[in-house]
Amino acid sequence: MTDVRPPARRTVAVLFGGRSLEHDVSIVSGLQVAQALDPERFSTVPVYIDQQLRWWLGDDLWHTESFKGGGPDRSRLTEVALAPGFGASTLRPVSGTTGFSGDGVHVDVFLPVLHGTYGEDGSIQGLLELAGCAYVGCGVTASAIGMNKRLTKVVAMQAGVPVVPWRSCGRGVLDRGSDWMREIPVDVEQAFGWPVIVKPCNLGSSAGVSTAGTPNELVAGVLKVFEYDSEALIEPFIKNRLELNVAVAGLDRPVASVSEMPVTSQASPLSFSEKYKRQGRKSVGSSEGMAGALRVLDPDDLPAELRQRAQDYATTVFAALGCEGISRIDFLIDADDGGLYFNEINTLPGSMAFYLWSAAPHFWTITELLNRMIERAERLRAMKRGLQRQPPSELRLFG
Amino acid sequence: MAWERGPVLPDNASLWTIPVSAAVVVLVWRRLLAYLRYFQQEGYEQLRFLRWTGVRPFTDPAFWLAVAAAWLSSRSAAWSAVTYVAGAALLIAGQPDPRRSGKITLKLTWRATRVVAVAGVVASAFWFAWNVLDASGLRALYAASALVVLLLPICLIIANALLAPYERHVQQGYEADAVRTLDRVRPFVIGITGSYGKSSTKSMLAHILQFKGPTLAASGSINTLMGITRHIRENLVFGCEFMIVEMGAYGIGSIRRLCELTPPSAAIVTAVGDMHLERFGSLENIVQAKSELAQALPSGGLLVVNADSPGALKIARTVPDRRVLLYGETSNEDLDTRLTKVEFTRQGTSFVLNTRSGEYACFAPIHGRPIILNLAGAFTLALALGVDPEVIVASFRTLKPVSNRLEVVEDRGITWIRDAYNSNQMGFRAALEVAAALPAQHRVLVTPGVIELGAMQAEVNQALSKSAADVCDNTLVVSETNHDAFVAGHRDAGRSDRLVAVPTRTDAFAWIKDHVHDGDAVILENDLPDLYEPSEGVFWTASAAGAARR
Repeated sequence: MTDVRPPARRTVAVLFGGRSLEHDVSIVSGLQVAQALDPERFSTVPVYIDQQLRWWLGDDLWHTESFKGGGPDRSRLTEVALAPGFGASTLRPVSGTTGFSGDGVHVDVFLPVLHGTYGEDGSIQGLLELAGCAYVGCGVTASAIGMNKRLTKVVAMQAGVPVVPWRSCGRGVLDRGSDWMREIPVDVEQAFGWPVIVKPCNLGSSAGVSTAGTPNELVAGVLKVFEYDSEALIEPFIKNRLELNVAVAGLDRPVASVSEMPVTSQASPLSFSEKYKRQGRKSVGSSEGMAGALRVLDPDDLPAELRQRAQDYATTVFAALGCEGISRIDFLIDADDGGLYFNEINTLPGSMAFYLWSAAPHFWTITELLNRMIERAERLRAMKRGLQRQPPSELRLFG
Repeated sequence: MAWERGPVLPDNASLWTIPVSAAVVVLVWRRLLAYLRYFQQEGYEQLRFLRWTGVRPFTDPAFWLAVAAAWLSSRSAAWSAVTYVAGAALLIAGQPDPRRSGKITLKLTWRATRVVAVAGVVASAFWFAWNVLDASGLRALYAASALVVLLLPICLIIANALLAPYERHVQQGYEADAVRTLDRVRPFVIGITGSYGKSSTKSMLAHILQFKGPTLAASGSINTLMGITRHIRENLVFGCEFMIVEMGAYGIGSIRRLCELTPPSAAIVTAVGDMHLERFGSLENIVQAKSELAQALPSGGLLVVNADSPGALKIARTVPDRRVLLYGETSNEDLDTRLTKVEFTRQGTSFVLNTRSGEYACFAPIHGRPIILNLAGAFTLALALGVDPEVIVASFRTLKPVSNRLEVVEDRGITWIRDAYNSNQMGFRAALEVAAALPAQHRVLVTPGVIELGAMQAEVNQALSKSAADVCDNTLVVSETNHDAFVAGHRDAGRSDRLVAVPTRTDAFAWIKDHVHDGDAVILENDLPDLYEPSEGVFWTASAAGAARR
């Protein structure tokens, strides 16, 4: 007999904020997602993680205005915590918190919408694993590798996807006096010539990125990276470059969205403010954050073959990393020779890249997509729970 | 009138007591918060707060509302009550929320909450006492609330005094905890003091040292015992190699106290000048207060001193057994680091540092002669601590200007020279020098002048005004505080036509909107704390525009 009853309503906790440069962007994305969840199927609990990584609940969190100035008024919120331990999945008030009824909020599925460090890098996923929770998106390994641009390139290369060559420079050089300030520019000049791009290895946003045309600028760029990260990546600067982004959703198999081309890509790499604050002509959507940036969807002046190749590469990288949920995969096109290179992956893209899904050919609204993601997160968790964890007899030392 | 012909409303006084009392409670609470903002800004210093308060409570419409209601109550209890409640509702709605409006908002810290709660109790005590002594019913209610509204600043002061022993106790506990943490972690502590340039020297030194080892420096201008204590407790962890502490002198002995909390191994004295003269009384006292840092150094400890400042040099002479390093630009002393060839461009400043070990050509994307001199000080100390000079020079290229401290920003064709944060005459002149060096069609200066100079204030502002008249095509002098000195200065320069007087910053920006065009430069010099601007925004949202002007 088929059960005709509607599925039981789930409580979904949307996590946003966090201790990363993209704290504010995450708030915008998180609230977009919280508003988009199907109210008939889910009871949504916004959870704000502040820059000290403390977790808060409260009705004020539904409104972006609450985050202006010094952030939401903590006296109107309840601080909660998620403790490791299977089967709990409850956000419990931190002792000393007043004005809270009951023992806490039981959460069925967690939906992290945290960008960058401590959110997109596997750390929050690790906590959710330890608590035995169902959560949307990449697991620990895919998140952690996806955050590291150098390791992602290695995985992509291994899967047969071309990448821009690179040199890396770790913070350890600082312990070696100033010799590296001469050696690295010489090596880079021989390998790539000038100019080059210098960027942090482990950062999601464009912060800390610079272009260097001289050894002096390269050294300054590397030092600038060390203000944000412990490893700098140096890549040749492709003069006639275009950016092309494709989102991939992990359904029964990875499905690629249409591609998008950020409008400013011809001039220079997107700076942080362009990526997130730019106002103006928009091809899709009218929201804030990534959805409000300037872009052309499915640019028809690009050969169909190239767009198809980008989609293929995107699903390949997604699968090679073992991603889940929605990722956005960014490519560079060398306009001079038509080369297509994998650049980076965002395992928790701004606005969940929903503007790429509501366009042809999928016509998925973010609400539909989130329904599927949540379903899949529940199945994955159940599957993991079912894995053999009972020690076999030869590993049982205490009977 | 209605009440003469007989009551339309029930005129039973006791019936009205409840709504009137409720209105009093809410209104008084709102006003307490409004005053608390300024009390907090004055660092809970009672005398400074009282000086700001003055006769202000008499200008509060809440006071006159109570007086009017008291007068009305002898005619009709009902109408007086309706008037009072409606008036109070209007005043409550019209008062800006001090937690959200104004340049420096009220931060409801635990201490602020304690102070305002006790002040509320004190205010209720006054109110009840009056009502017990005066049995005239509603009229007593109004009279009592009028009195309480007048006494609110006093209530805050009484509350603060009552809480003082407790605050001291709490603070001592925190301090002991910070001292313990410091004793366990044992970072190399660098103290920085001076009349100006402390914060920028601190942040630039931290910028350099981060490439040598994990460095802790409080952001902004945290430089008090309480601020540093808190910073240590929240941020100092094992592994931290350098800790840079900005030490503010608020009187003789205050730096000595800070040095007991964080005993320094090395120190920088940036400059000793006449800033905060009002607080210290004499230049000798300032020198003495700042020399406490040098004296706290261990024998052989590194003391880096700005030799261009005679006061700072005097401090260096008082401690012969420390390892003194001198930096400067104009000094005749034998310097360890000499700043030369300073040139300004819109992108930043290029300069050369001459040291005993070599000559370094540098570029930094920041502006102003004093800040570059501070950078020379940070350079001198970092070099002495063994940081590779080439790494230091390379790190200069990624320095960021501190917001509102001689920050040059291009916005829609206009060059903004933002130097709003606590200016002094040296900083003022530095901003004018940069403004003169950068290309611009017209230069407009917006400033309220400089403050806290005691008897010299008028003279100093007059001289600054004269210099400004030579560089700027228009000077907008904000508020009354230094208005007369600016008029005199522009007259001295023979350029009275270039001076524009505006009451508030909002008016200054309105003027800019109408008169400033592409290719012009605007210098925003000094921004007085709220307390020096006209009373806008305490009781009434006249400054809701004030929140928007940011």
